[in-house]
Amino acid sequence: MCIRTVQQLNKRKTQLLAGEKKFPRKVIVCCGPGCLACGAQKIADGLRESLKKKKIKGFTVETVRETGCHGLCEKGPLVVVEPDGLFYTKVKPKDIDEIVSKTLARNEIIDRLLFTEPATGKTKKKYSSINFYRHQNRVALRNLGHIRPDSLDDYIAGGGYQGLARALLKMSPDQVIETVSKSGLRGRGGGGFPAGRKWRTCANVESDTRYVLCNGDEGDPGAFMDRAIMEGDPHSVLEGMLIAAYAVGSTEGYIYVREEYPLAVERLYEAIRQLEEEGLLGDNILGTDFSFRISIARGAGAFVCGESSALMKSVAGEVGEPRAKYVRSVIKGLWDKPSVLNNVESYANVPVIIMKGAGWFKKIGTDGSSGTKAFSLVGKVRNTGLIEVPMGITLREIIYDIGDGIIDDRPFKAIQTGGPSGGCLPESKLDLPVDFDTLTKAGSMMGSGGMIVMDDKTCMVDVAKYFLEFLVKESCGKCVPCREGLYQLHALAVKISDGKAVEADLDRMEQLSDVIIRGSLCGLGKSGPNPFLSTIRYFRDEYLAHIRDKRCPAGVCKNLITYEINDKCTGCLACIPACAYEAITGKKDEIHILDQKKCTQCGACYAVCRFDAIDVT
Amino acid sequence: MDKRFVVTPNLCTGCRTCELACAFSHSVNGKPGLSRIYPLSAGTDEAWVPVVCLQCENAACVKACLVDAIARNPETGALELDYDRCVRCMACVAACPFGCSLPDDQHSLVVKCDLCGGEPVCAMFCPTKALAHQEICSSDRKSA
Amino acid sequence: MVNLTVNGKLVQADEGEMLLSVIRRLKIDIPSTCHHDAVEPYGACRLCTVEITKTEWNGWKNYVTACLYPAEEGLIISTHAPEVIELRKTLLDLYLARSPGAALIREMAAEYGITATSFQKVPDGDNCILCALCTRVCDAMGFHAISSVNRGHGKEIAPPLKEPPPDCVGCLSCAQVCPTDFIQYKDKGKTRTIWGKKFKLLTCKDTGRPTITVEFAEHLSRQRNIPADYFEHDHESHRRQLALTLGKLAEWDRKE
Ligand SMILES: Cc1cc2nc3c(=O)[nH]c(=O)nc-3n(C[C@H](O)[C@H](O)[C@H](O)COP(=O)(O)O)c2cc1C
Ligand code: FES
Repeated sequence: MCIRTVQQLNKRKTQLLAGEKKFPRKVIVCCGPGCLACGAQKIADGLRESLKKKKIKGFTVETVRETGCHGLCEKGPLVVVEPDGLFYTKVKPKDIDEIVSKTLARNEIIDRLLFTEPATGKTKKKYSSINFYRHQNRVALRNLGHIRPDSLDDYIAGGGYQGLARALLKMSPDQVIETVSKSGLRGRGGGGFPAGRKWRTCANVESDTRYVLCNGDEGDPGAFMDRAIMEGDPHSVLEGMLIAAYAVGSTEGYIYVREEYPLAVERLYEAIRQLEEEGLLGDNILGTDFSFRISIARGAGAFVCGESSALMKSVAGEVGEPRAKYVRSVIKGLWDKPSVLNNVESYANVPVIIMKGAGWFKKIGTDGSSGTKAFSLVGKVRNTGLIEVPMGITLREIIYDIGDGIIDDRPFKAIQTGGPSGGCLPESKLDLPVDFDTLTKAGSMMGSGGMIVMDDKTCMVDVAKYFLEFLVKESCGKCVPCREGLYQLHALAVKISDGKAVEADLDRMEQLSDVIIRGSLCGLGKSGPNPFLSTIRYFRDEYLAHIRDKRCPAGVCKNLITYEINDKCTGCLACIPACAYEAITGKKDEIHILDQKKCTQCGACYAVCRFDAIDVT
Repeated sequence: MDKRFVVTPNLCTGCRTCELACAFSHSVNGKPGLSRIYPLSAGTDEAWVPVVCLQCENAACVKACLVDAIARNPETGALELDYDRCVRCMACVAACPFGCSLPDDQHSLVVKCDLCGGEPVCAMFCPTKALAHQEICSSDRKSA
Repeated sequence: MVNLTVNGKLVQADEGEMLLSVIRRLKIDIPSTCHHDAVEPYGACRLCTVEITKTEWNGWKNYVTACLYPAEEGLIISTHAPEVIELRKTLLDLYLARSPGAALIREMAAEYGITATSFQKVPDGDNCILCALCTRVCDAMGFHAISSVNRGHGKEIAPPLKEPPPDCVGCLSCAQVCPTDFIQYKDKGKTRTIWGKKFKLLTCKDTGRPTITVEFAEHLSRQRNIPADYFEHDHESHRRQLALTLGKLAEWDRKE
């Protein structure tokens, strides 16, 4: 079967929908990375096995479907019964028979598998009523958790490639660019550059060849939005790229995916193969004279390879080092040809914009930042996972509504956004709307969408130290301010955390940061001092406590804290073997003694004590 | 026009004025540099000949240079070595069949005759006119 | 041709000519460690950073590396603006923390009034300043024998797998262009050792003096069509030959 015309595309869609109607109910097993790691595949296989043995009306092995990530990875493996939206969490293989015999056969709900709102303790039956999902608005992640990632049919049945069809047959390339421009779509990879303007510039450059590139490098530690899209809905990215290619007049595209995402690579290969087989990639797509091919380039997993010029060098087979560019890559990019580079999430938005129109998209979000943004919400919040929210939502809503508040009801301290070179925002900034410009103005950034929530037990000097260390390692090492400057900035942060710094060191750090920002070659260096600058801006007192009082208020910096055993000690002996340095002695049922000379502040005793008998000061 | 060195060995006395002139006109940091020209014995004790780069048509030094540091100056016809480009790999020194690219070990440089921008100083100072830089007809066998 | 202003002086430059070349032509001294005309500008040392502005930028200034910024009409360049000097000082200070033994760095730093680093000494620092001139020149020569390995602060220059590089021909260009003389090699009799690889040197049939390595000569013969017998003699021997030939020609002339 081939999809050579729009009629054929629509016919396929109609047929598929008719087929789906025969079995409207489905058992969806989340097979995103988180759930897979918790054994989701066994659940899916087990459900099929069970349905093979027992005949249940309305269900066949075909109605068990593995999908991409649902976002609540921590609660995986997840099983959802559609279209009812019944939502089961932490499903174990032993639950399978019960799900089949009770829920599928008799519509009985198994209470113990339901999701419990962590803050209130209330159980929720339905997907849509869970706080975590209720406040979300899924555009880029629209298909995630609904379709089978390896099925082109599922994508088409859900309206896939209709955006491409409309662009190719009803719109001129110029109109496509105009629509994307009007929608206000800004790059989701971090910079927030208006996609339409980028496309327009590329289209206007005189050239025989143009490239359309997709940035799937996602080097931010802890971020997995792009991975989830590539693994869970690869066709939305490909469709976005096809539309971009048509708009700028390109015939060749590359997706750059990091080696650490083997499943994403596999899914994209499979999706490309399907499209080539159907004729949706190749020559004369949908009977027009538009031709396009996509190849996959695999990255070696360096953070800096996500930077546009480094990425292009890497795709071209050279060392992935950024190149100084006073000529932008839209004009002279891959192999010195005009190239459009966009992020995975940016592309995933494009088909919807074409289908629903610029106005629809523009209505979501804020004036300057339209649409939605996916984030990976992690850290000390009760609900962690993958979320997509309209721009303009406040940080407070994300943390307290979607995230359901801080674990153990501890006080909130800071939220780190924007990945390693992003910044930390304090309590006073929680009501800021989340959009590109506001976050940047507050000293952080949108970045590609990492969000780490921190409570009062987090030391901001330690946080700055951690991110600086990451950047020192991940800098490409080419230019001096970034390589040596960040190294020294980190060394000074260590000095502070060791309690050896003087106040003048802070001035030195600020001056050095200025040089790194002004002097560095690429975006990594230019934003590299951010972890320091944003923490010093909002948490100067904490820095000063380390410097003046030689004290770490959060009780984190090893050199500045002491562990002491208080009289809550029951003499349980647990901490004695836990201490690798033999610093604790004592007899059963007697208060134990900690030898400060031997203590290395490793915190092992603190971790094992069940009686709150270890004080950290 | 096409100017070349014309060497008349019978006139050369081996006085080495050419060498001095060259060294002084190619000074490095204010001190005389390595001369690109000097007289050598032409076979017998009395016969001398000044030896200098012939600025060959299809020059081995140019072919051997992997970083394209030697190029012909269209105005003077000289094959000039771009010192800012040269990486001192010694390929031209080894490849020149006439030994006219010279290693200047003292300044870690490679040097060769650049015709002094069109008016070679060596020829100007040659007291016997054994060395001249003049327009020639292509059939002149003494030219090179 | 475009018109620009460098430190208050009006100058002309070819459109697209890099600012560094314009500035150097004016004999204005600005430091740089990673620039070499044989290779593409790289922009790693950042020492050649200058301040640029234009009248129509309304006071907005930018800081760009002169080696990579092409001349544009109306550009106003300041090579020694206070911000630029501050930047260079900090960079040289950073350099000194890593490579206190490098003469070039010490000289440049001294010119900017810095004699010792104010930063923490880099424990495993050495004289390699990672300008990558060696690898870039090696690439430009077409050998690709060495490259940079690792990234971040642990970056270094090395042959593949840190073993004697199979593609190296021992031409020494890397060592010759190294601005801090960090790349070591040894010529002893008829052998040369660099990057842990041993090479046999060709010797002149007359004088017995070593010239270039066998591998390099073979490469030049093969790739550049230089007759192999050109390499049988050193330059002095070649010169003597030329003198004799010229002498003979003159002899014939006289007889004619
Ligand atoms: C150090 C560094 C790392 C980056 N990493 C990524 C990345 O992992 N993924 C990404 O999409 N963009 C990344 N970017 C941003 C890209 O350079 C580029 O702006 C983006 O891919 C453009 O696409 P967009 O306009 O759709 O966001 C990075 C930038 C820098 C400076
Ligand atoms: S992997 Fe299942 S919810 Fe993310």
